[in-house]
Amino acid sequence: MSAHDLAVETGRRFAEAAPLNATLHWSQDVLDREAARLSVTPDGPLTGMAIAIKDNIVTTEEPTTCASKILAGYISPFEATVISRLRSAGAMVAGKANLDEFAMGSSTENSAYGRVLHPLDHSRVPGGSSGGSAVLVAAGVVPAALGSETGGSVRQPAAFCGVVGVKPSYARVSRFGLVAFGSSLDCISVFGRTVDDAARVLAVMSGHDPRDSTTRAEPPMQLPVPRTDLRGVVVGLPREYFPADLDPGIRAGCDRAIAAMKELGATVREVSLPHTRYAVPTYYIVNPAEAAANLARFDGVRYGPRHVGSGADVRALYQATRGEGFGPEVRRRILVGTFVLSAGYADQYYVRAQAVRKLIADDFARVFADGVDLLFTPTTPTPAFKAGEKTTDPVQMYLADVFVAPASLAGVPAMSLPIGRDQGLPIGGQLIAADFDESRMLAVAGLLERTVDAVAEVRT
Amino acid sequence: MKIGEAEVRHVARLAELAVAETDLPLLATQLEGIVTFVAQLDEASVPADSTAVAVGPERLTLREDVVNPIPMRHGPEAMAPVFIDGFFVVPKLGGMAEE
Repeated sequence: MSAHDLAVETGRRFAEAAPLNATLHWSQDVLDREAARLSVTPDGPLTGMAIAIKDNIVTTEEPTTCASKILAGYISPFEATVISRLRSAGAMVAGKANLDEFAMGSSTENSAYGRVLHPLDHSRVPGGSSGGSAVLVAAGVVPAALGSETGGSVRQPAAFCGVVGVKPSYARVSRFGLVAFGSSLDCISVFGRTVDDAARVLAVMSGHDPRDSTTRAEPPMQLPVPRTDLRGVVVGLPREYFPADLDPGIRAGCDRAIAAMKELGATVREVSLPHTRYAVPTYYIVNPAEAAANLARFDGVRYGPRHVGSGADVRALYQATRGEGFGPEVRRRILVGTFVLSAGYADQYYVRAQAVRKLIADDFARVFADGVDLLFTPTTPTPAFKAGEKTTDPVQMYLADVFVAPASLAGVPAMSLPIGRDQGLPIGGQLIAADFDESRMLAVAGLLERTVDAVAEVRT
Repeated sequence: MKIGEAEVRHVARLAELAVAETDLPLLATQLEGIVTFVAQLDEASVPADSTAVAVGPERLTLREDVVNPIPMRHGPEAMAPVFIDGFFVVPKLGGMAEE
């Protein structure tokens, strides 16, 4: 397909998918300009691939709003390093995907521009916060999309929507041009229709960036070498991720995937990550604390719409701009983050959370040092839930992250891949690897993808 | 712990965030729920000599000490709500001048 035809076809698909509300900005004009650029660009590893971008990663051709009113109309004067790398590799940057405002949420119901619909059941959520990116891949608009993870925001929607979602190791991919949310957690991550699509995008994006000193000085990720069996691979099943009250469909899907891994020759053994139950409360201290600090920059002075307020001084400007500009979940996190960092409470909450986070990271280090190559778990405790089901109780929404938050806190790579369906809804299986061991994780995932029927009902 | 409307008002002021008086009761309930939930970390047994987790590179890589500006498509005047003669314009400092 020529670059021109790809632009036309991608535009047609964006238009067709419009009712899902997964896209915030796209235009045929921008797609045509990308096609013109690609027609004079040498072929690269991503030639012919259109990629959608979560709208918290800056691009210069279209706005970057983070799905927030406070950045309405903002167009970045520079582009993110990952965007430059994708474009140099031959990819077509195809539009900006909807998300939970500032990536805060687990259902993409928190966008200031309306909720994103699950492509298979419009009454359900696609997961979040990168719900728009997941839906654009699941609906066949693009074969790959960028998301961002702070605590599962790619793996969880990937599981809900039945696509592949990969969070690399912390410090693997440059965050220059990612609007900061939780700086000790944020990772630009990728959705793919297949493991191979996601792996190819990740390989191109990864590697040290002089503009982001938090990237590690390591070469880019190597593409995984395809496997034909799992002999010699030790897979750990952490018992804390398989509680007695686990959703029966999720359990059936995992059982089937585990049986497949054994049949392929893997050694499967039970392990323990004893501090797992502290991951969500730890996350919901560290994350709001960092969010409150990062979002202090949105004050109506340098970018975005301004609200002057009644006091007519600079404090009234800050308060009115932020009060008008941020939605309910962002306001809640800023308030919680400010509270846990405030005088008299910082030791009790923030300092303690950092210490418990170390225990969670040590759990992972211990099992990987003990001969386990990969961990396998469910990605989510349930399939996609109904819209509105968890919006009144923030803590219930936070618990949707129970199986994805630990790897984010530990900084290790993890991914979700579709392993079957229960009553028509996709189920995701999660693989977690040791730091910077993405290639092995992706190779095992690639074989599982070819072995396990991702659309078959797991309970008959 | 109990979180009341006064606590929310105080934290909102620290965060420079306008919160309507009518929103205070719900926010207080929600914040109390969240803070009670995260307080279960008190049950975790943390060793006395524990250290905070460190993610990212073992040491930061230093760049050459040269100015290497990032090419910009447009300047601040295209993004700022009010930008005159090279300056971001803000209202008078008011009470902040004394703080």
